[in-house]
Amino acid sequence: MSGISRRRMLELSGAGLAAAMLGAGEAQAQAVYSQIYDAKRKTWIDYDPKRAMQYYKAYGSVPEEFKRQTVSFRTAEKPGTIIIDGDRHFLYLVRPEFQAIRYGIGVGRDGFGWAGIVKVGRMVEWPTWTPPAEMIARDPRNAQWANGMPGGPENPLGARAMYLYEGGKDTIYRIHGTAEPWSIGLNISSGCIRLNNDDVTDLYARVAVGTKVIVLMSGAALYRGV
Amino acid sequence: MCWATGAALADDLVIGLTAWPSAKVTGHIIGELAKERTGDSPVYLERGSIGLLTAIARGEVDVYPELWSPNLDNAVKRIGDSLTVSKRSVAGHQGICATRAAVEQTGIKSVADLNDPAIAAAFDTDDDGKGELWIGDGSWFSTNVERIRARSVGYDQTMQLLEGAEEVAMAAVDAGSALGRPVVFYCYSPHHVFMLHDIVVLEEPAHDAASWNIVAPADDKDWLQHSSAATGWDASSLSIGYATSLATKHPAIADLLGRIQFEPADIAAMSYAVEVERKSPEDAARDWIIANRTRIDGWLQ
Repeated sequence: MSGISRRRMLELSGAGLAAAMLGAGEAQAQAVYSQIYDAKRKTWIDYDPKRAMQYYKAYGSVPEEFKRQTVSFRTAEKPGTIIIDGDRHFLYLVRPEFQAIRYGIGVGRDGFGWAGIVKVGRMVEWPTWTPPAEMIARDPRNAQWANGMPGGPENPLGARAMYLYEGGKDTIYRIHGTAEPWSIGLNISSGCIRLNNDDVTDLYARVAVGTKVIVLMSGAALYRGV
Repeated sequence: MCWATGAALADDLVIGLTAWPSAKVTGHIIGELAKERTGDSPVYLERGSIGLLTAIARGEVDVYPELWSPNLDNAVKRIGDSLTVSKRSVAGHQGICATRAAVEQTGIKSVADLNDPAIAAAFDTDDDGKGELWIGDGSWFSTNVERIRARSVGYDQTMQLLEGAEEVAMAAVDAGSALGRPVVFYCYSPHHVFMLHDIVVLEEPAHDAASWNIVAPADDKDWLQHSSAATGWDASSLSIGYATSLATKHPAIADLLGRIQFEPADIAAMSYAVEVERKSPEDAARDWIIANRTRIDGWLQ
């Protein structure tokens, strides 16, 4: 049953490892272990912030399974639909002929407690990021961005943002890029559904306002109940 | 083809269409065959199950293409003699299913195996120690029954029971199958998921009516505690229902409806044609008629 109970929650308080290494937009007090499959040893291995950063430093990329790739994907969903598997840290863009483009994602433990069907309601390149009031209260350094941090390489929303709407209203959840590409594959802090900037730019070019997005009832989606 | 935008004329054949794809295809097959007999195009009306049955009782709708039993038995009883149910039904099934990976990785064979905490943990994705099990859409009659079954068998203690849209649940089966991950879920057949993936129906004791006592939430706030259902579902079936008055209004069509005999594979293929192959229900119906003309002629002889 390897990989079955493959993730154990790690609470990192205050100045914990993840918080110490994260940028302004994503530094919060919680991280959750993932596991990734080691094909050589044929076993699941822990994948936590420390290992993720070590891996990224050594190889300049995330592990193979979190890299963008076309996979076989049998589904009744129409090509163009996005399916988000927060448990496995994958986002699928359904393609014709039972295929999908699979992207590695990071998800936020605080900001990802829902599941269901939404739509891409708005799309922005190099979006402005405005920290919520509670984030400014937690870290006064964020106060300088109270009126919005301009888009750019340091912006926590990264290169592109797709704002998710339900019934024509903004859900406050987004699919966006990240200034910390090593964090793909992890559940860390606030933030929504993060892709590295190359991937979010690729996805952005393939979807349009109105794209159907399905968030599965699994993993992080259940942290605050469905 | 025309759609009901106002009141249908008294002589119009009004075919009700419920939301699921095979019912829409079945409805359009009935409509096409009726048109062949009478030369008149039917009127189609989309509505929910209870709404359609109520409309039949009021004389506003003539045909209900896919009537599920036992799910709608009580509603059918309530409207009484105004509805006739064809004796030619399609065998269906409902219960709990597992992906092939679930069977191979956990050894699960039966629904009761979900009581085993070690097996249940195989389906845990949020690290609360319980597995996850989708039991249906919150608006379905069957979903309350599945909650009762979980409590009666005992796996409500080991599994987190999830309610939500079927599309979300099926996408989870898609993702689980793509990765070889174990997934268990409420299932019913005929359904296109059995054509998309390698799905195993979990075993359970045969239905025992004496062990089933389903109390509706509307009748008792403690309906869950006062209900029990420790065995499998009663044999399910799909039948065509139609207004009893149709025998007078359009006797040839009433005769036709009593002769139609679909098979489970037909219903699954209709669902697959619409959901996976992206055919419109109208096109899927026409294709089905072309491919099955000999069978249709056989029904009518």
